Amino acid sequence: MEVRLDNLSKHFTSGNRPVVKAVDEMNFTIPDGKLVGLLGPSGCGKSTTLYMIAGLHKPTGGKIWFGDTDVTEVPPENRGIGLVFQNYALYPHFTVRENIRFPLENVRPKLTKPQMEEIVQEMANIVGIGELLDRKPKELSGGQQQRVAIARALSKRPQVLLLDEPLSNLDARLRLQTREEIKRIQRNTGVTTIFVTHDQEEAMSISDFIVVMRKGVVNQIDEPQTVYEEPANLFVAKFLGSPAINIFEAELNGDMISLHGEAFEKGLLQGKGEFSLLDSRIYDIAVAGGYKESKKVFFADLGVDYVAPVEEVKTETEAVEKPKFSFNKIVANVKGKFAKKEKRIPDAEVVIAEAPAKLTVRHIYKQIVYRGYRPELGEFEEQVGKLYVESGANRPVKIGVRPESFTLEPNNNPPIQVEVKFIEHIGRDISIVGNVLGQPTSIRIIIPAEQRHNIKEQVVKVYPKRYYVFELSGERVK
Amino acid sequence: MIKINYFKRDTEKPADLQAGGNSPRPMSIKQSVSIPIWVKVLISLAPAMVFLIFFTFYPIINTSIIAFIENFGWQKNAGSFAISNFFQQIANANDPLLLEPPAMPYFSLDNFGLVLTDPIFLDSLFNTAILTVISVPLTIIVSLMLSVALNSIKAFRGFFQTIFFLPYVTNAIALGMVFNVLFSPEPGGIMNQIIQLFGGSPVSWVDPAAHELYDVIKLSKFSMGVVLIAQSVWAGLAFKILVFMSGLATIDKQYYDAAKIDGTGRARIFSKITVPLLSPQIFYITITSFIGAFKMYSSIISIVGQGPLNFGGTSGTLWITVVGYIYKNRQTDLPKAAAGAVILLIIVLLITLVQMQVSKKRVHY
Repeated sequence: MEVRLDNLSKHFTSGNRPVVKAVDEMNFTIPDGKLVGLLGPSGCGKSTTLYMIAGLHKPTGGKIWFGDTDVTEVPPENRGIGLVFQNYALYPHFTVRENIRFPLENVRPKLTKPQMEEIVQEMANIVGIGELLDRKPKELSGGQQQRVAIARALSKRPQVLLLDEPLSNLDARLRLQTREEIKRIQRNTGVTTIFVTHDQEEAMSISDFIVVMRKGVVNQIDEPQTVYEEPANLFVAKFLGSPAINIFEAELNGDMISLHGEAFEKGLLQGKGEFSLLDSRIYDIAVAGGYKESKKVFFADLGVDYVAPVEEVKTETEAVEKPKFSFNKIVANVKGKFAKKEKRIPDAEVVIAEAPAKLTVRHIYKQIVYRGYRPELGEFEEQVGKLYVESGANRPVKIGVRPESFTLEPNNNPPIQVEVKFIEHIGRDISIVGNVLGQPTSIRIIIPAEQRHNIKEQVVKVYPKRYYVFELSGERVK
Repeated sequence: MIKINYFKRDTEKPADLQAGGNSPRPMSIKQSVSIPIWVKVLISLAPAMVFLIFFTFYPIINTSIIAFIENFGWQKNAGSFAISNFFQQIANANDPLLLEPPAMPYFSLDNFGLVLTDPIFLDSLFNTAILTVISVPLTIIVSLMLSVALNSIKAFRGFFQTIFFLPYVTNAIALGMVFNVLFSPEPGGIMNQIIQLFGGSPVSWVDPAAHELYDVIKLSKFSMGVVLIAQSVWAGLAFKILVFMSGLATIDKQYYDAAKIDGTGRARIFSKITVPLLSPQIFYITITSFIGAFKMYSSIISIVGQGPLNFGGTSGTLWITVVGYIYKNRQTDLPKAAAGAVILLIIVLLITLVQMQVSKKRVHY
């Protein structure tokens, strides 16, 4: 059964607090008979999506289609789904047999006892727990419980099988075993399967497709290898891969991207002029993230004096369109809008007391995070990055290189000098952990173990075989 | 071959560590005084033990001894220990100087024989059993239903919980008085009015003399039993709902989600999932309710409202309970009361043992 999500949204509103968009306008189609992993960090809305497909949560907008049927309003029991819960939710007072049989007892027209027994045995054989039928769940290991839960979910022959974090309650060895098991069961039954996970390795290893989610929004849908090799943005690149991708902070100057003062890439992007980080829109970003202080304090922290714009600054157009009800707030809003439209350089509002030594995004983040700003640095960078990109000015960019994409042999790409801190041996590969020479950036490189003898110095030159270029906003440019 | 010093950085120690040249000492925490474990055990058990000894073990042992002594009577200057009293009484009985020597005490089972053949005791045993057998299952079923209903609603939950919990914080005597008013013998009483609304005739619920004053049906054992059971069911709800609600809160919501996906009906969810998963609480409540019901006393005298030893009816013993029997004989025939108490203890013990055996099969986990 093909599953299609059409602008599916789940927004939580409570009182006068801002709307929480757990899932926002999600669109994707899962082809019939495929195994799809919903992947994302915790709180990204992947479980909510799964429960909406199951029918246990009501979407606040959009539709869910199973084949040609709109099931958005169909109660869960009539959707023809099987759901495996994260903690399995096996009834502790029933034996395994009774647990698997329980869903069958509600089937209409009624099944006879031998019919039920036959199905129970069949399901138990599929998942390989045929000899455990008379045990209670607590007498089983985690992996066995998991299989019972899958058997129970499969017993009604669902069209769609949903698994919520199926492997997270298992230990590492069982996890490996169970994920192969899930793949096998899915192949044998051919049921369209959707599972939720925060573990990229898990998703990569068994899915036919991966849906990478972040904050309720789908960032990329593709086959695992493609998602890994061609990440849509910085978030996806960082989220997939273990050890994680190395991110270098480079500079765009004119049409030249340079890394640590060395030219890296030419002609990819164009930068013109300077973008001032004293833009008052950065203050708005901070406030949206929970920053509590006034604009004056904000700029004072950055080492400049803020002077509120005087009335005369207003242009004629503003005066014409000024609303009659001059509530302070409305006026402020209107001002804000015009400020954006006219691209008014906010320097007009700011008097520089003393030139701040070297104002960086990181520096601003440090200042605001102590005064109530909650999101992480990456998110702040991303939002400021959008302003940077919009301005088209010279700007910081990010270069990402996967640890295994480095080589010791020179190639066309510029080298990166690494000061080796220590070397880890991981089977046939070795993992070099070090710092970029003269930089605080930590870096990890994976090379085949036989090349170990090439590392003779404390400082080695490594050459990226493949690299990605991201804007500060996370957008991928190369 | 050049040797690489991978640990070069580590040699650059921070200044504070370099100054002394020594490696820093591990931080120490306050040393705890070592006390032998048995002293600790004793200290922590002491408060509970003091209370248990004075208010549980001492009364039980004293009562049991008294129950086995024929002709027992408290003696002057013998203290409050039954056994020392016993020897004092023997000495006094043999004392030729005493004008009125007490009767000679001796160990026997006569008190038990006396109690077990006493028609009032048998009556009280029967009454207690009736009240227990009807009110305990009734109150458990009602409170279970109410808890599940309360658990499933969101609006007004706190309000209803408060209402159902009020009897728990209200004095039993006050509750009895409320029921006395509710089941007033007058035809204008609340319950009588409700009965008349449905075409019945008014009943003189607990008042043995009301039928002479008003046009009401004469008090019967049944009419009074209805009041007693109504009261004990209602008064027992609060605590049971509290326990069941907390039990329901511990049941994983995912069981219900799973049942919902399977299309399980409400009745089946209740009987196949809620009740089995709540079985530890149901078991606990059953045992405590049985014991509580077997000790029923204050609710009855408060409903009758004619003093601490009146159990209704013209005889004053219509609905006498085992505890009522004990209190009634305490002043006049102490050994008889003690024997009654021991019999009650044995009954309660037996019921508990039987229930524990049953629970091994029925209670999960």
